Amino acid sequence: MATKYLQKWENEFNICIRCAYCFEGCPVFKTRNWETDTARGKIILAYGLLTGELEPSKYIAEKIFQCTYCRDCSERCSANVSVVEILAAARAELVEAGFATDIHKGMVKNLKETGNIFGDKEIKAPTQEGEVPVFIGCQYLARPNQTKMYLKILEKLGVKPLIKDEMCCGYPLYALGFPKEFEEHRKKFLEMFPEKEIIALCPTCAAYIHEEYGKSVKHITQAILENVPEKNLGLKATYHDPCDLSRVMGITEEPRQILKKIGIDVVEMPRNRKTSHCCGGGGGILMSDVSLSDDIALVRIKQAIETGAPLLVTPCPTCEQVLKKAAASVKEKGNGEITVKNLSDVVWKALR
Amino acid sequence: MNIDIEKLKGIVGVENIKDDIADRYIYGSDSSVHGSLASVVLRPTTVKHVQDILRYANAELIPVIPRGSGSGMSGQAVPIDGGIVLDLKKMNHILEIRPEDMLCKVEAGVVDDELNRALKPYCLFYPPAPASSRVATIGGEIANNASGVRSVKYGATRDSVLGMKVVMANGDLVTLGSNTRVEASGYQLDRLMVGSEGTLGVIVEATMLLRPIPKFRCLGRASFDKLADAGESISKIIAVGALPSMLELMDNIAITAVNTTLNMGLPDVEAIVMFEADGKVKEAVDAEMKLMKEICEKHNAYGVEMSYDVAERTKLYAGRKKLFAALSRYQMGLSCTSLADDMAVPYSRMAECAAKIHEIAKRNNVVMTAYGHCGSGCMHTKILMDPTKQEQWENARKAVAEVYDYVHSVGGTTSAEHGIGLSKAPSWKKEKADSLKLLRAIKKALDPNNILNPHKMQDAPDDWLTATKLRYPVQGK
Repeated sequence: MATKYLQKWENEFNICIRCAYCFEGCPVFKTRNWETDTARGKIILAYGLLTGELEPSKYIAEKIFQCTYCRDCSERCSANVSVVEILAAARAELVEAGFATDIHKGMVKNLKETGNIFGDKEIKAPTQEGEVPVFIGCQYLARPNQTKMYLKILEKLGVKPLIKDEMCCGYPLYALGFPKEFEEHRKKFLEMFPEKEIIALCPTCAAYIHEEYGKSVKHITQAILENVPEKNLGLKATYHDPCDLSRVMGITEEPRQILKKIGIDVVEMPRNRKTSHCCGGGGGILMSDVSLSDDIALVRIKQAIETGAPLLVTPCPTCEQVLKKAAASVKEKGNGEITVKNLSDVVWKALR
Repeated sequence: MNIDIEKLKGIVGVENIKDDIADRYIYGSDSSVHGSLASVVLRPTTVKHVQDILRYANAELIPVIPRGSGSGMSGQAVPIDGGIVLDLKKMNHILEIRPEDMLCKVEAGVVDDELNRALKPYCLFYPPAPASSRVATIGGEIANNASGVRSVKYGATRDSVLGMKVVMANGDLVTLGSNTRVEASGYQLDRLMVGSEGTLGVIVEATMLLRPIPKFRCLGRASFDKLADAGESISKIIAVGALPSMLELMDNIAITAVNTTLNMGLPDVEAIVMFEADGKVKEAVDAEMKLMKEICEKHNAYGVEMSYDVAERTKLYAGRKKLFAALSRYQMGLSCTSLADDMAVPYSRMAECAAKIHEIAKRNNVVMTAYGHCGSGCMHTKILMDPTKQEQWENARKAVAEVYDYVHSVGGTTSAEHGIGLSKAPSWKKEKADSLKLLRAIKKALDPNNILNPHKMQDAPDDWLTATKLRYPVQGK
């Protein structure tokens, strides 16, 4: 197999010493338990594709796509192997070899036609004049109430959000192995968003716009922390770190400081901050492998319930969505109860 | 090789078998330089599964390769002849923790760190502490007689094994050892299994000795401008009867690797010695630390830092914990290969051994580091080289042979804790020349059909370089 995208990472395969330390926190491995599910396993598969020892197959594609891109492996890798980048390249090879899933192909089509991953022409940014450019992102655009709440919070804190028409940041195209489509998208995105400094609501968009487009990105939690006044909600909660926020952007303390300031006592899960357990919603599996996503989310929600806190707060819309589903499932089975809320809910409650 | 997949599905269930080439390819390698292809991967969840698999394999003469996390560095878990790879990670239950007897009983697939997390509420710990403890399974640790930074005080895995249950090649389940600290008579068959690398039986359950978590633990770090001074300090610390709970060496190559890769900010010196003492009486720990600090300073150490604080200790130790993988980023174009990766020499030869490693590396145009749990006589290195070049592999072959020839010449041994497998086998066979016949007789007696991890250790090929396909893309190969 001619490898167009993996070739670039040839040396990286030799850097990986295959120590298996990436097994430790891998959410896919912890729920499926085969080495094929680990970062090392997937790196070996990608290496096999590069050398031609393995031919692309539906099974290999299934395995390579069973990753949430949570970067727990990267966090634990002392050789700093570029796991996600290699997997994105392997996915690109497999897509090119004809092994993209229909769901992912549909999402790419949606993006081309509507600018958002849902393919919903009705999803529009609530454009408004302002001073500080704010990027909302597909996931929050599909949750207009939450978006409104964040914008009201910013206004209440003295920030005047400038909202323009939007299109997806392009991360799904990169993550799901559509580099050609991404290149086209990239140009359009930069034309639409020439601003160098922005506030982003979604952790994944924030991380990607910073990493890929080199923009100075402030996540909404950083913007809120700058001006949030002290309040006393008198609540107890556990905080779930979204992977892109904690491991990619290094933003772990700001959300906790916000919660503390508004009077929420944070009870930590054993895996927190940069070692946070993934929610199960990333890397495309929320669409292509719902059962895996659900299983990972259940692990996390159980960890949250074990803290004894009645409330879990997170600033990521995807984490919120999958953890809410997991919480409902656990509650239904009588295995515990916890309420999942977006950070905007509790901050707005404190400010209004 | 004819393997009846349907029969195996009947034994372990369809959810516990993989025979796609993708899985067989992944399970064909570990953290060594070797690679081969498994015929099928099975994931037993009960002792009966293991027994039934072995009965079948023994009757059909199919190799069975037991596997923990596949973190071994010498090719122990590489299926050199194909066959059944037995992934034991799902046999991961902690069966009993008996604080009153200072022991625990665990299934083979329990991960070391997970066991220690479970022991913490009892104020107990399981001490071998290999660097891979985050993923290494107890079964794998026993099979390799693993050890780590605390071996200087608490010994290797061997010193923590009280007993075990083992499935033999014919499927029989045997109980070896006891639940007691002492057991005087008989052939000590539990000990025979320790370090046997899956060639004599499949360990399915282990009874392990526990220790109380010490109330006080203090870690120190000393810098040296001469590697020889650092080595001498270590020899002296042991010779005067100090009782460190950790005594580690890192040379400049190791220091540079962690600083480059992880921005650790370790002092850029020729060598670092890390020394630790622990105990239940602070004054006793203070006394050990003072003694070790004085010895280091007498050997020209400077910038000595010491701390009881957990966060400070973690910071001081972080570079060492992450060293193995970080070596892969030491220099652009060089990769860290697990070759000549461990050895043990008498304490008095520690400084000489480190110098010898550097000398051999230079002579053979590769880069080698010297570090390790020198307090227990264990020296580690790795060969840093361009693994895509055939000539580098020839250089590595010479370097490996020279290192072990030196080690044997001073009364050292081929493996301190990483095992023999394939890549260290040629040197180990030289070291054990007069007992090879005996070793082979034991293997023959316990595994007459040679199905258990065949062609490893004493039966491994004489040239590690051609024993299997290399996991690296060597040009022209």
